[in-house]
Amino acid sequence: MTDSNPIDALRALEAEALDAISGAPDEDALEDARVAFLGRSEGRISAVLRGLGQLSADERPAVGQEANRVKAVVTAALETRSAALGRPAGASGLDLTLPSRKPWKGGLHPITQAVDEIWHIFRDLGFSRARGPEADTEWYNFEALNTPLDHPAADEQDTLYLVDSVLLRSHTSPVQMRTMERHEPPIRIIAPGWVYRRDTYDATHTPAFMQIEGLVIDEGVTFVDFKATLAEFARRYWGPDTVIRLRPSFFPFTEPSAEVDVKRVITRPDGTREETDWLEIMGAGMVDPAVIENAGYDSERYTGWAFGMGPARIALLKHGVDDLRTFFENDVRFLGQFAR
Amino acid sequence: MNVSKRWLHDLVPGLQATSAELAEHLALRGAPVDTISSPGEDIADVVVAKVLSARQHPNADRLSLCEVDGGDGVVQVVCGAPNVRGGTYYPFAPVGAVLPGDFRIKKAKIRGELSQGMLCSSKELGLGREHDGIMELTGEFTPGESFVTAMGLDDATLDVEITANRGDLLSHAGVARELASIGAGSVVLPELPGDPGVSLAYVEGTGEVAAGGVTIRIADPDLCSRYMGAIIRGVKVGPSPEWLQKRLRGAGARPISNVVDATNYVMLELGQPLHAFDLARLAGPGIVVRRSSPSEPRFTTLDGESRALNTNMLMICDAERPVAIGGVMGGLDSEVEDDTTDVLLECALFDPKSIRATRKALNMSTDASYRFERGVDPDGLRTALERCVALIVATAGGTVDAQALDCCPVRFAPSLVDLRLARIEKLLGVAFEADYVNELLHPLGFVVEGSTDGTLHVRVPGYRSYDVKREVDLIEEIARTHGYDAFPSDLGPSRPGSVPDHPMFLLEDELRAAMVGRGLFEAHTPAFAPPGEGDVEVANPLASTEPFMRRSLVPALLRRLAYNLARGNRDVRLFEIGTSFAKAGPGSPPHEETRLAAVLVGRREPPHWSVAEEALGVWDLKALLEDVVGRAYRGSAAVAPGSVAGDTFDAQTTFVVHDASGNAVGHGGRVLGTAVDTPVWASQVWALEVTLPSNVLAAPVASYSALPTVPAVERDLALIIPDAVAAAVAADLIRGSAGEELEALELFDLYRGPAVPEGTRSVAFRLRFRSPERTLKDKEVDRNVTVVLKRLEEELGVKVRG
Repeated sequence: MTDSNPIDALRALEAEALDAISGAPDEDALEDARVAFLGRSEGRISAVLRGLGQLSADERPAVGQEANRVKAVVTAALETRSAALGRPAGASGLDLTLPSRKPWKGGLHPITQAVDEIWHIFRDLGFSRARGPEADTEWYNFEALNTPLDHPAADEQDTLYLVDSVLLRSHTSPVQMRTMERHEPPIRIIAPGWVYRRDTYDATHTPAFMQIEGLVIDEGVTFVDFKATLAEFARRYWGPDTVIRLRPSFFPFTEPSAEVDVKRVITRPDGTREETDWLEIMGAGMVDPAVIENAGYDSERYTGWAFGMGPARIALLKHGVDDLRTFFENDVRFLGQFAR
Repeated sequence: MNVSKRWLHDLVPGLQATSAELAEHLALRGAPVDTISSPGEDIADVVVAKVLSARQHPNADRLSLCEVDGGDGVVQVVCGAPNVRGGTYYPFAPVGAVLPGDFRIKKAKIRGELSQGMLCSSKELGLGREHDGIMELTGEFTPGESFVTAMGLDDATLDVEITANRGDLLSHAGVARELASIGAGSVVLPELPGDPGVSLAYVEGTGEVAAGGVTIRIADPDLCSRYMGAIIRGVKVGPSPEWLQKRLRGAGARPISNVVDATNYVMLELGQPLHAFDLARLAGPGIVVRRSSPSEPRFTTLDGESRALNTNMLMICDAERPVAIGGVMGGLDSEVEDDTTDVLLECALFDPKSIRATRKALNMSTDASYRFERGVDPDGLRTALERCVALIVATAGGTVDAQALDCCPVRFAPSLVDLRLARIEKLLGVAFEADYVNELLHPLGFVVEGSTDGTLHVRVPGYRSYDVKREVDLIEEIARTHGYDAFPSDLGPSRPGSVPDHPMFLLEDELRAAMVGRGLFEAHTPAFAPPGEGDVEVANPLASTEPFMRRSLVPALLRRLAYNLARGNRDVRLFEIGTSFAKAGPGSPPHEETRLAAVLVGRREPPHWSVAEEALGVWDLKALLEDVVGRAYRGSAAVAPGSVAGDTFDAQTTFVVHDASGNAVGHGGRVLGTAVDTPVWASQVWALEVTLPSNVLAAPVASYSALPTVPAVERDLALIIPDAVAAAVAADLIRGSAGEELEALELFDLYRGPAVPEGTRSVAFRLRFRSPERTLKDKEVDRNVTVVLKRLEEELGVKVRG
């Protein structure tokens, strides 16, 4: 050691060492730098550490601390540079290119993911989630919804019955009445859940499937609100260029009724943009005053709108799945494709 | 419903649109078009040819040599059809023509004879399935004229989807009304070729009418509000003229004979089903409209089927017996046949609900029942009857009795519906002027008969009397015809709803996230179950293999696990949150529970070079079960060893879950090899199922306690515990006897082997003592430990390991 401050000297040594390390063009040069600074016998930083004993008791702790810090910094720099030069660590070190130790990855079913994505958008639009039983009565499934059992409309959803007037709900619409019975307007809910129909399994039908009901009841709710909210949902789900189209239709519990189609704009990898065809995504409409009256509300005062959509179909279109039955196979390789 | 494009053009003067434009317009009116078919498109090259002569092929028994006039000179054609005859017209594909399937006709030599073209069968033209021979054409043709034009195949057929409320659209006139606004604005019935211009006088009555020797009596007016009849004498039954056949084919109907075709034509045009009886085969002759009597258990319909009747079914009877199931199908014994000369033409109005009940009981649906069920224009019967009479006389000859019968016990009165302009705005969000409302409604047949103070009085046409009864029904018509696209789409202010997010969804969200975090995949399985897996039975199941609703979610998940193993997926971890069903009281809906179930097999973690592979075991299952139970029951339910009924779980490795009231609310354990189909290489299978509490418990609010400021004192105890004493029992005793300074207790080692006596094991506990106020002295802690050891020995026979 010279007369100069040993800590300053260590810092100068550190800078010199780091320069030498970062400038080392290959493994040999790097090894030379290691020997020059950290070598057991000739290393200049090692020499400082060896010489600590000759320092005064006042100086020793501070210098020792600094010397150890510099040694650590230089050692780390050597490892980083070594890795950068493409050599795995030597026999004493770890090969950090080896695979990491991970836990198993799990994931939500793609239909649940679709339900959640849809729910999160409606949550942001002021909706909450409601639910009801999957086995219900003819009253809730049909009659309360302005669907007399002797009307052909009751046939359109081929219903599975349990006993007499008890059935497996053929849509999530019974939740409309069950919610209105328990709460006062304003009502703003969605109701995701399983529904059942007497359909055979094929690429586009399964006898049990998820549906999401939506219901809004308040004063001053109009067809314009209905259209605007669904358009907003579509833009948030499929992107800002998405447009919707309403086509007149018939559901006994809504009037006016509509089928809702969306048209998306897809941007291809090469940057070109393409409009999709119209895609049917839900049935919807203004809540029929008879339904509002059945709930015990004044239909002159309250108006509303409702919809029902199939998240399985939406997930199918979104992920390019070509057969709804795939969703029920639950092959972990399939489910793993949707894990996040 | 199949709609002929040409027919629409004839009904709507000034209509100019392609098939695609019509489809688009109808879709935006609520009647989407499924498919558009133009049968003539693929066979435009085919012409009508006359075979002048046909003789035996000199070198082949089954072939004929024909001289064919295809309009472009006479050519020789080799034909293999047995029915080829000289002097007859056939469809002909000349050399160079292309047939469906991109089949190009070439000049060929067949067994040494030149063949220049092909005489075609209906199958080859894509028009039919029969392949017994070539298609013989009846009528007069010019050789070389287009086959497509000659057959009327240049029409387009639109398959229009009609919603259940719009019975009026089950007719060309109805569809045409929706298109009137893009034509000249109105619908006009086209002139019938050869229309004799009949005019009928009606003998009217409310219960019974008679004319021309025929009586009509309605005994059950609740099921039939009107029954009209016209008598046509001296008809000659035969094929319909070509124009009528083409028209029917364009609408997807099959021509039969002139009289039947006339009734079908009017039904397809106006939506009114009609039926023609052979008058000579009606006893009386007369008609009685009444419910079936118990003495008439069966009836044979004109399709030859014998059908079981019930006494709620409305029958059309002659003086002696039923001759038709009213509004559904005629009978075999009274239908018009080739030798029929006198016809009684029925035009009636039946109750939609009765027709629906009848045809459902008979498990059949006909063009007539389909229309009556959805509502036939109560104001259009005379028009339909007169048009059908005119068409029969024009095509089958004969003369109509000047007096027709009109038995009408219940007369239709058109309804007036009040429509408030203010209500339109309230519902639709846009103000509509009275003039504009009138403009929208008028083409559909609604008439604004006046208005008072912003309320319009609207008369509803008969054909809309079924679905337009209320103000809101009219408002839908206004929205629809104004065009949904024409409404603005501006998001207005809204209030948040009064309904809180259902707590079960919040619990499900939490559990799903926890399961995914533990490396499980969520599965979806349908809730149907095979026998033995449920007690709630579906009355009308689709698959007889799964007629029940599941009681437990585990069996279906185990099948999915087996499915995965069978596909070589050796690490399978699935969970599902779903509904289980259990029988409740008779006639009431089943009891439903929301449950979480999971099944697991394979390795604990993905293979890694640094550690040996280890299969999922009982402690993994227990941890998963405790996690689910902890989240669902917030500490109020306990997981303990126990047994589960049934043969799914191994009794030695099963846990049961009890809630605070002692109800069993879940279980989990090792699945017996007999309960799941696994390959030999698979590791042990684990499963659990927990019922989520129907009153979801809120997550407790964590309450802060100050962190300790003084050090703790730890003591490790190695204990020899007899096998009969559960570790949890020993731990409980330690907790209960170590004093209030015991802060934590941890079981950190377990040993069984030669170093400890048989029938015992060594269990090591670490006890951590701490006082909130002061540092404990070793002596104090030692005193506590002595108490613990003493009680362990006295009460449980546990000794310290020496």
